[in-house]
Amino acid sequence: MTQNDATRISEPADSGAGRDEGEFAAEALSLWRITFGPVIWVGYFTLSYGAAALVCAKAPDTSVATLRLAMGGTTLVALALIGWIGWRAFRQWDRSAPDTDATEEHRHRFLGHAAFLLALIAAIGVVFTALPFLTPGTCL
Amino acid sequence: MTADPEGTYPPTAAMLAAPVDPDRAREQADRLRAAWTEPKGFAIVTEVNNGRVGAWYAMVAFAFMLLAGLLALAMRVQLAVPDNDVLSADRYNQFFTMHGSAMMFLFAVPMFEALSILLLPGFLAARDMPFPRLSAYGFWCFVIGGVFVMGSLLFDAAPKGGWFMYPPLTTQDPGVGPDIWLLGLSFIEIASIAAAVELIVGVLKCRPPGMSVDKMPLYAWYVLVVGGMILFAFPPLIAGDFLFELQRSFDWPFFDATRGGDPLLWQHLFWIFGHPEVYIIFLPSIAIAAMVVPTVAQRPIFGYSWIVLSAVGTGFLSFGLWVHHMFATGLPSISLGFFSAASEAVVIPTGIQLFAFLATLLVGKVRRSLPMLWIAGALAVFTAGGLTGVMLAIAPFNWQVHDTYFIVAHLHYTLFGGMIFPVIAGIYYFYPVIAHRQLSARLGRIAFWLIFGGFNLTFLPMHLTGLRGMPRRVYTYPTGLGWDWLNMISTIGSFVIAAGFAVFLWDLLRPKRHQPPVVRNPWNAGTLEWSRSVPSENWGVRSVPYVSSRYPVWDDPDLIDRIDAGRFYLPDSPDGRRESLITTVIDARPQHVQRVTGPSWLPIIAAAFTGGAFIFPTFHIYWPAALCGAAALATIVWWLWRDTARIPKVGLYDAGLGLRLPTYMSGPSSVGWWAIWITMLGDSTAFASLVFGYFFYWTARPDFPPAGALHPDLTLIGLATTGLVAAWALTLTARVVNRAGRVVAARLALVAGVAATLAGAAALLGAIWPLDPVTHVYPATVWALVVWTLVHAGAGVVMQLYVLAGSLAGKCTPNHDADLHNVALFWHFMGLTAVVTAAVIGLFPLVI
Repeated sequence: MTQNDATRISEPADSGAGRDEGEFAAEALSLWRITFGPVIWVGYFTLSYGAAALVCAKAPDTSVATLRLAMGGTTLVALALIGWIGWRAFRQWDRSAPDTDATEEHRHRFLGHAAFLLALIAAIGVVFTALPFLTPGTCL
Repeated sequence: MTADPEGTYPPTAAMLAAPVDPDRAREQADRLRAAWTEPKGFAIVTEVNNGRVGAWYAMVAFAFMLLAGLLALAMRVQLAVPDNDVLSADRYNQFFTMHGSAMMFLFAVPMFEALSILLLPGFLAARDMPFPRLSAYGFWCFVIGGVFVMGSLLFDAAPKGGWFMYPPLTTQDPGVGPDIWLLGLSFIEIASIAAAVELIVGVLKCRPPGMSVDKMPLYAWYVLVVGGMILFAFPPLIAGDFLFELQRSFDWPFFDATRGGDPLLWQHLFWIFGHPEVYIIFLPSIAIAAMVVPTVAQRPIFGYSWIVLSAVGTGFLSFGLWVHHMFATGLPSISLGFFSAASEAVVIPTGIQLFAFLATLLVGKVRRSLPMLWIAGALAVFTAGGLTGVMLAIAPFNWQVHDTYFIVAHLHYTLFGGMIFPVIAGIYYFYPVIAHRQLSARLGRIAFWLIFGGFNLTFLPMHLTGLRGMPRRVYTYPTGLGWDWLNMISTIGSFVIAAGFAVFLWDLLRPKRHQPPVVRNPWNAGTLEWSRSVPSENWGVRSVPYVSSRYPVWDDPDLIDRIDAGRFYLPDSPDGRRESLITTVIDARPQHVQRVTGPSWLPIIAAAFTGGAFIFPTFHIYWPAALCGAAALATIVWWLWRDTARIPKVGLYDAGLGLRLPTYMSGPSSVGWWAIWITMLGDSTAFASLVFGYFFYWTARPDFPPAGALHPDLTLIGLATTGLVAAWALTLTARVVNRAGRVVAARLALVAGVAATLAGAAALLGAIWPLDPVTHVYPATVWALVVWTLVHAGAGVVMQLYVLAGSLAGKCTPNHDADLHNVALFWHFMGLTAVVTAAVIGLFPLVI
């Protein structure tokens, strides 16, 4: 830590240091990336479970085939979205920039790593949840 | 609008190295000590400091655990031989119900909260939690509720429907048992949510300067994950309790199939809580392992980000598993498939955490120690429980062993391995921080082998007992079914466990005064809790350090000396008040100095009245309950009015190390705003559970709404929505114009807001007044949603009046508007609740 690293905390140029709003603005994209992976899984899971419950309760038995087809498509969309977020996060984490000790850079990469790993877990969750649609499931 | 911080941050090396004048340091320490002095004599119960409250909390939770353990021993005695009659069937039912309920609600979750309140400020080098009186209030609620629920055993009136209270058995129980369970435990659940709010805000805002999110101790990450899970898991149960008690008290038929109800809704709401609950218990315990393992290996944890994200992932996935407790209820097989698959998926993030610990041990230089012995036992037992869990996630196998002792064996393997062993490891490991003494290594080893051996002797045979068909929750069984000797072995094993706990208890309780105090940091650990001085002071940390790594005690050789010298932040208390440093959420930059509240009778009084409001209705006594509720509200309003959001005398305050910080903060930078935001997230989850109930009935029942049913009046619903949305807009307007300096306009907006709220609430009540909730579940569900909305509107009026009074009294001004910010935030949620309720009960019947 040298004298130059220290910043005047009151200077407006310092991106609102000491204020949460400034930090959130600086990392808004990373924070969205972190939440999107799991949120897609949550949405996908709720949709699968809700759609199956509704089809089985309210629709004729033959609609299960339609449900499987529709959910198959939804699965691909969910995986594509998670894959895209995961790829962006991977870039943020593993940028070829030289390793520095600066807090901002370190934190930025950590958030990228976090978003990447969460996308990975979300993808695992989606794949597992999709498995019952591959097997000939019924409403019985 | 408050002053911005002034001064240099981060501190320079020269600033950190500058010596502190010893005389000045001594004067500062004297003032600081005076600010943190505890009340003397009996008044010690008014203390709210996290060290005291956390220790009491842990001791009471441990006492409930011992009581619940004694119930288990009595059950094992009854089951030792066939056709036994030590316990009657009825008493046996009370015992197994209370064993499960107490272990879950009075031990496992409170123990996490207790240990976190006790230790978290140490991990973060904070003086205290952000809301010490809230911790104290939660603790006293827990004591009152716990004693009430456990005390019912003495009057032969305890709940006896199993820890999950399935209707219709429990809705038809003529005794008060189910009411005691519902109201007593709801009360404790609310205390748990209070603690969760406190812990989440503590982790987000009370970290030492420099501890950005990627440098937090793993325990803090786990607290964040588990706090978030509590916020989303407990509210569905509270919503379920609300419906259940409406049926028990007023005969609204939510779970009565003859009037359109469905007992399965309770099972859904219970297990949406119940399964995450397992992880709420498991993750904090694994967090203890995450603190012990690096110390044992004498190196940083391997795969920090992987552990953090696996914990987050486990938390998420654990909400998608609940139906695996309901495989035998006849749901469509395709639905069972989702939950079976999700149950298998959760093994992956759980496994990553365990492998990261093993990897840390493999690459480190392992020192054998007693805490590590307990952790090793935990990993072995938990892994065995996890493997049977993978078996149980497969629906056909699950059907085969449903409701047998195989389940009993599985759940005890996960809970002993995932909770009991790690917590005891934590007590051995952290005891020098908590009590400045060491527990006996010899007694600890004896206790370990007794409990570990006894545990396997008790529960390993139960897998076989279950596969041979012995059902759970039977008070006796005939001879000759191949269960006799297995049960005898389990009973013998249970007494070996009890002997182990007796040794552990003796080790805890035996007088240790003659022992020399421990050396500082006896295990040579790297995290901040070990920087505390020996003997300790009530202030917790002499000065709040600036940290720049995950293991500051290892990486910064000067750290402890500088903390002791008062070189860092807040080394002084010039006003003689208790203070804590608040930092930003992501980077932990110093933001402001929070005046934390000190000792007071108010939390105890508020808890006692809250207890009355929950306990009287158990016996269908409503007027005293209403009076207690009003008194609790009045106490809390007085406590907030007198001691929170006080306007400071000076704008900026010397925080040490050349930094001057404000002492007043409003909006998203303040801890109060975060607490409201987090509380309302949990509150909205409970509301969402009620809405889920409405759509569940519509999906599951052909007669929802029944043919020719009376629907809510659409005109009045429209008026109600207009009134409540206007109230939201007026409250928001009050905040904006107040900030702009137009105080009178703000007051008028608040008065108009109160009027709009009352008019909207009256219209909402009028819209459904002709519907009779006793006749069918459809009007009952509509009423439940409206009652929920009206109660919140009532809270909204109280808040509007509170800030109006604050404005008139000069407590809430254009520059000091924290209360108004918080009330406006509440009203965002209130407006959403009103709109959703109106849409569901008003518009949905039109489209179906």
